[in-house]
Amino acid sequence: MTPLLGNFSLWLSLFFATLQFVVSRRYQKSKIINISVLGLLVSSLLSFFLLMYSHIVSDFNVLNVFQNSHSTKPLLYKISGVWGNHEGSMLLWILVLTLFNYFIIKLYNKKNSIFILKTLETQAFITIGFVLFTILTSNPFRTTSHLQTEGLGFNPILQDPALAIHPPLLYIGYVGFSAAFSMSVATLSIDNNEKISWYIYMKPFVVAAWTFLTAGIALGSVWAYYELGWGGWWFWDPVENASFMPWLLGTALLHSLIIVEKRKSLQTWVLLLAILTFLLSVMGTFLVRSGILTSVHTFALDPSRGLYILLFIFLIGVYSLTLFGSNAKRYFNNNYFSFFSREGSILVNNILMIVVCATVFLGTIYPLIVEAFTNDKISVGEPYYNSTVIPIMIPAILVMGIGPMLSWKHENKIKIFEKIFPSICLTLIMTIFIFFIYQSFSLIGIAGIILSFWIISNNLIMLIKKNQKYHIGMIIAHFGVGLLILGITASSVWQEEKIIRMKINEKTKIEKYSVIFDNIEEIKGPNYVALRANFIVQDANKDIITRLKPENRFYPIENNFTTEASIHSNLFRDLYIVLGSGNSNDGWIIKMYYNPLVIWIWIGAIIIFIGGIASMNINLRKIKVFPQ
Amino acid sequence: MIKKIFILIIFVFLSQFFLNNIYTVEPDEILKNQEQEQRARKISKNIRCMICQNQSIDESDATLAKDLRILIREKIKDGYNDDEIYKFLTERYSDFILLKPPLKLNTLLLWILPFVFFTIGIFLIFFHNKKSRKI
Amino acid sequence: MKKQLLIIPTLIFLFIFITFFYLLLIDRNPTDIPSNLLNKNVPEFETESLFKKEKFISSEEFGEEIILVNFFATWCKPCRDEHVYIKRFSDEKKIRVIGINYKDNNKKTIQWLKNLGDPYSDVPIDKNGRIAIDWGVYGIPETFVVNKKGIIKYRHVGPVNKKNFKKLNSLIEKIKQ
Repeated sequence: MTPLLGNFSLWLSLFFATLQFVVSRRYQKSKIINISVLGLLVSSLLSFFLLMYSHIVSDFNVLNVFQNSHSTKPLLYKISGVWGNHEGSMLLWILVLTLFNYFIIKLYNKKNSIFILKTLETQAFITIGFVLFTILTSNPFRTTSHLQTEGLGFNPILQDPALAIHPPLLYIGYVGFSAAFSMSVATLSIDNNEKISWYIYMKPFVVAAWTFLTAGIALGSVWAYYELGWGGWWFWDPVENASFMPWLLGTALLHSLIIVEKRKSLQTWVLLLAILTFLLSVMGTFLVRSGILTSVHTFALDPSRGLYILLFIFLIGVYSLTLFGSNAKRYFNNNYFSFFSREGSILVNNILMIVVCATVFLGTIYPLIVEAFTNDKISVGEPYYNSTVIPIMIPAILVMGIGPMLSWKHENKIKIFEKIFPSICLTLIMTIFIFFIYQSFSLIGIAGIILSFWIISNNLIMLIKKNQKYHIGMIIAHFGVGLLILGITASSVWQEEKIIRMKINEKTKIEKYSVIFDNIEEIKGPNYVALRANFIVQDANKDIITRLKPENRFYPIENNFTTEASIHSNLFRDLYIVLGSGNSNDGWIIKMYYNPLVIWIWIGAIIIFIGGIASMNINLRKIKVFPQ
Repeated sequence: MIKKIFILIIFVFLSQFFLNNIYTVEPDEILKNQEQEQRARKISKNIRCMICQNQSIDESDATLAKDLRILIREKIKDGYNDDEIYKFLTERYSDFILLKPPLKLNTLLLWILPFVFFTIGIFLIFFHNKKSRKI
Repeated sequence: MKKQLLIIPTLIFLFIFITFFYLLLIDRNPTDIPSNLLNKNVPEFETESLFKKEKFISSEEFGEEIILVNFFATWCKPCRDEHVYIKRFSDEKKIRVIGINYKDNNKKTIQWLKNLGDPYSDVPIDKNGRIAIDWGVYGIPETFVVNKKGIIKYRHVGPVNKKNFKKLNSLIEKIKQ
């Protein structure tokens, strides 16, 4: 019954999306368009919750549930299992798409009608594309051919709270950029005699998308840090790159929108960025799901899906980019500005973000290009990205610290120095202080610490000055970036690792801490069994700080192992223990990390998120304040 | 009852299989000489685990990865320098095994294009700045 | 001038698109990695042989006829699946097959070959996996085709099955001429 209803609701979505597409082309609002937007929202909510229902009640006649679930799976992962697989994640994608669709029609008023309707038309086209894709190549409501009583289970490595909410956030990001894309296409295709300030409309969507994408990426890293047991949190995996590239372009888009808003310059540039950001989001999906790249996290691979997404990208890409090529000249203007100005700093940052994005893109697809042309196979891994991306990021972060303090249009060079002098002093003091504590010097460490305190102190000073000119959301977000860099630098430069074989009651030292292997026990979880080791951690005074309990889990249904690292965090460091193989005679292999300041990465990400939300509010208010 | 037996079987199974389940360099592999060990780690981080995806042998639990880690350490003890070790590995496993691709004809663009992008970027900024001065 | 520049994004987009399209359409396997030893002499090695008393010395074995070198182990399930086809090479096609026994237990291997039949003219033992590394082997089973001059002409990764048995066979015929 549910699969039937589910299929029906999918076709219903397709119907309403087509209706919206047809009706919005007539350039006048009618009741029908309201009905289609609402109908689209309701039908995609219906299909999403129908699938969720099938997962919750473990209806194994649904192929998707059979392949990805099991009756013993905890409820949280039954729910997250809906989007933890390719087919279900498409439903989530469509749902978010229609939600944004609904927000867009809310912006409608008499004066912007052409612009909003054209945006809705493009949104409808994108929705049709994804709904058709789901129905044709990845229908989550397919039924099993035989009656099934039990499911195959869900990859245990994905059974993690951080990863449960990671995809929804990521999709809000990707799909939010679809709104910017549609608005860009709308701007390019209408005559715009009415001088609609399209950028005012675009900005809250971009801020929202960027904020949620940031949170999504951060949660993905949290998952990698806690679940993979390698002590790291970013691996330059193609899947990670697929979300990082739209983030970079989104960052550029977000900032250059400020220039357009304030000074009306760079309009063509922003229109292009809006198009590219969304294209890259979809391209990321293509790379991940077509099997064209192989990656750790690979979703179910299927070339026909790849072909479909590729054709879809081709359609929207060629349409939007040729539209840009022929019509963008309308938005040329002569509002140039000096290099030493706020716009100038944003432009520099913009360009550096795009250079980084292009480099990451190059690294991701280069093995494919080499293979296509020469038949050789090469690998491009972490060392490549570290040696190309970091040098470009350093000047970008330097500029980021000073940019917001400059005045618009032109800034006196002596005044610049006056403005940044206090933060230079603060940065130097803090850097010396940090190195006084850690007493370990490396070029990259010094650079990272200086950069982070450069950002932190500049934003602190801006905050203290309480100057109304400064946008509070920006200060919060930038401050978060400063903390993020601090965490990244410290944890990668001063990380200490220890790999040893330990027997029960043995003792070892890491940094100033003593770690005692207390015992090992067998435990039973809801859908796994595990070996759990108990460690007592003492500080220099022999006081017990914590007990760490890393686990090695075995999931019998999926026939799969995972390691659960056990971590003790405080504001200064993480103690991270992973249990390896072994037995009571020879001892167990234990891997320990002392990761300084890791928590500041997560705190930084949360602060960036808060800054983003604050900025979203302010920008939403602008739409209401600035009627056309 | 059946469930209990099932769990028992699994524990027997567990103790067998955890032998394969370690995600890193094992303590028995580690060289006494700290400097040599550092070199070995550095090289391992640069060598791709062939059967894994996008993982270095330093963080992989595959048996081949382990064999290669031990091999690298033996070579270091035998006095090979880093280049000789890389050469030994690429002769057998081609450049695919290097996570940091070497500068060659087919990777020329990979290494040069980031600089080209950067230069174009700088050029764009100056182009814009020059125009702004005219006004 | 500037107006013409607006077409650049479209061009870059088309270039990337065509590359992807090409890659998606050609018959490729992302996990298949070409061997770096193709058209090179077989690596030299000396090791114990499973059935013979004297050592297996590579330089004495290769270079007279076409030889198939098959890396196998009893603990590897796909090896069992492909064994039928390896046997067909030696029985039907009368090709000499050398089976390098990778990281295995001698007793188990002898029993395994007794049960399944022994297509190998010789079984050199690779106790610690070093011979496999010299051959650039990254996954068991792997099969190499060595020509009359002792030069490696082809490598097949993974089990030989019905489909690629034919392919390997026609390849061997070609090398024979």
